[in-house]
Amino acid sequence: MSAGGSGAAAEAIPQNNIMAFGVLGGLIGVYGAYFLVGMVGQYMSFIGALGAICGMVWGAAAVRRVASYGLGTGVPSIGMLALGMGVIAATFGLAVGGVAGPVVALVVAAIIGLMIGVLANKILKMGIPIMEVSMTEIATAGTITILGLSVAMTGTFDFPVVLSQVISTGYIAVIFIAGGLAILHPFNACLGPDEKQDRTLMCAVEKGSIAMIVAGIVATTNPNASGALTILIGIALWYVAFSGFYDRTKRDAYDVVGAGMLPSKEELE
Amino acid sequence: MIDVAGILMQNILYVILITLGGVLISWSVHFVPVGGAPAAMAQATGIGTGTVQLAAGAGLTGLVTAGAMMQITNNAALVIASGAVGAMIMMSVTMIVGTWVYAYGVGCPPASAKVKYDPITKDRQDLYVSQGTEGHGLPTVSYVSGVIGGALGGVGGSLVYYALMSIENGLPLADLVGIASVFAVGIFFVNAVIPSYNIGGTIEGFHDPKFKRFPKAVLASLIATFFCALISVLSIGGL
Repeated sequence: MSAGGSGAAAEAIPQNNIMAFGVLGGLIGVYGAYFLVGMVGQYMSFIGALGAICGMVWGAAAVRRVASYGLGTGVPSIGMLALGMGVIAATFGLAVGGVAGPVVALVVAAIIGLMIGVLANKILKMGIPIMEVSMTEIATAGTITILGLSVAMTGTFDFPVVLSQVISTGYIAVIFIAGGLAILHPFNACLGPDEKQDRTLMCAVEKGSIAMIVAGIVATTNPNASGALTILIGIALWYVAFSGFYDRTKRDAYDVVGAGMLPSKEELE
Repeated sequence: MIDVAGILMQNILYVILITLGGVLISWSVHFVPVGGAPAAMAQATGIGTGTVQLAAGAGLTGLVTAGAMMQITNNAALVIASGAVGAMIMMSVTMIVGTWVYAYGVGCPPASAKVKYDPITKDRQDLYVSQGTEGHGLPTVSYVSGVIGGALGGVGGSLVYYALMSIENGLPLADLVGIASVFAVGIFFVNAVIPSYNIGGTIEGFHDPKFKRFPKAVLASLIATFFCALISVLSIGGL
């Protein structure tokens, strides 16, 4: 059970496993897309979006954990913070790191996140025991989301390409909102006394696949990446995740009944 | 590999300006009357949305107006003034339309529950606060406070943008605008969320007792923005 403000959230999957899933899945996705686009063909760029979804699920799980303590303000703030920290770290990492860019970005994100977590507890006195760890996780997950979606859009993380195809064109704003939504929305939508981890995370996968479809649409405008496979896999994943989310919603609800049509004018008289 | 020390020494002024901008943004959020979800139901004084959305709205408007001014001139004072005016207009419009909705739509008078008399108009407040609510609408003091907040946020946002655009680099202008905007938005969000946690999500303006907490958020923002400023100066300066 996990209502906002009630303390630690119960979790069926331990956070450490999700953390490993997010970091490894995200890095494999980003590097897999980068190398396979060069070796196999541009249509492999969809792997980047799968990596981004790993990051989003991790981010949503971390938001769920920290927001269960009650932030004193809306859950969306922490998602925006994640992407705000993530975009700074991702741009820096890609700008200075070369092939090691994504790893540099993750390390920088972890440092910024840890710093903001420490500031929140030591200076703002928020008193959330897992704040430092969670902020580190959320910043890193936001960075993976940005990196993964950028690779899915351009097929590479070479900084000049990302700069001219993602940042200067303004698609970074799409990544910001679509990725931020996947991190902040699941817990915001599911929070309450009957919140369950698997339902929240399934919602994250569903939001992530929407971001994947959007990334695919952007990729169709780009010569180095192919959008068709990204869009198809995104739609399939969305269908699976949405059915999974709906099944879990029905499972957790006391009862699901149809409300029927609105009464007609004659029936009301 | 980029020359870290050289770039930092060359651009140390911009690191300081970005940090100052971040601190101003953080301080500005304390002026903005944010009511959050309760205000959306007319059960608390302020604008009915969260700190981050409001600060982002005002800050991004400031960024756009500052960017438009930068097309014409490189004069720092004009760019910053343009950013401030843009953010003030955005905040004023949001608040006046919100007040219309509260007055003519919801049907409640603007009233503050934190003070007995409005510090500016000296009007009695507590008589008009509905039972079970913590005030509603936007009394004059909150409105004035919100405009001050918009001005500070706009100055901060445009200061960050101006500093980022002024760093020496080898980028074409279109790419520079893109990367400077991205860093400015990232820094803006970080500095909008830190004070939002400091005030616990809602504040009525500078007359609210919570306003006295601002030094903590300003200190936290100072440290966080300084670090972000180093990173952004390094990445733009190294290109």
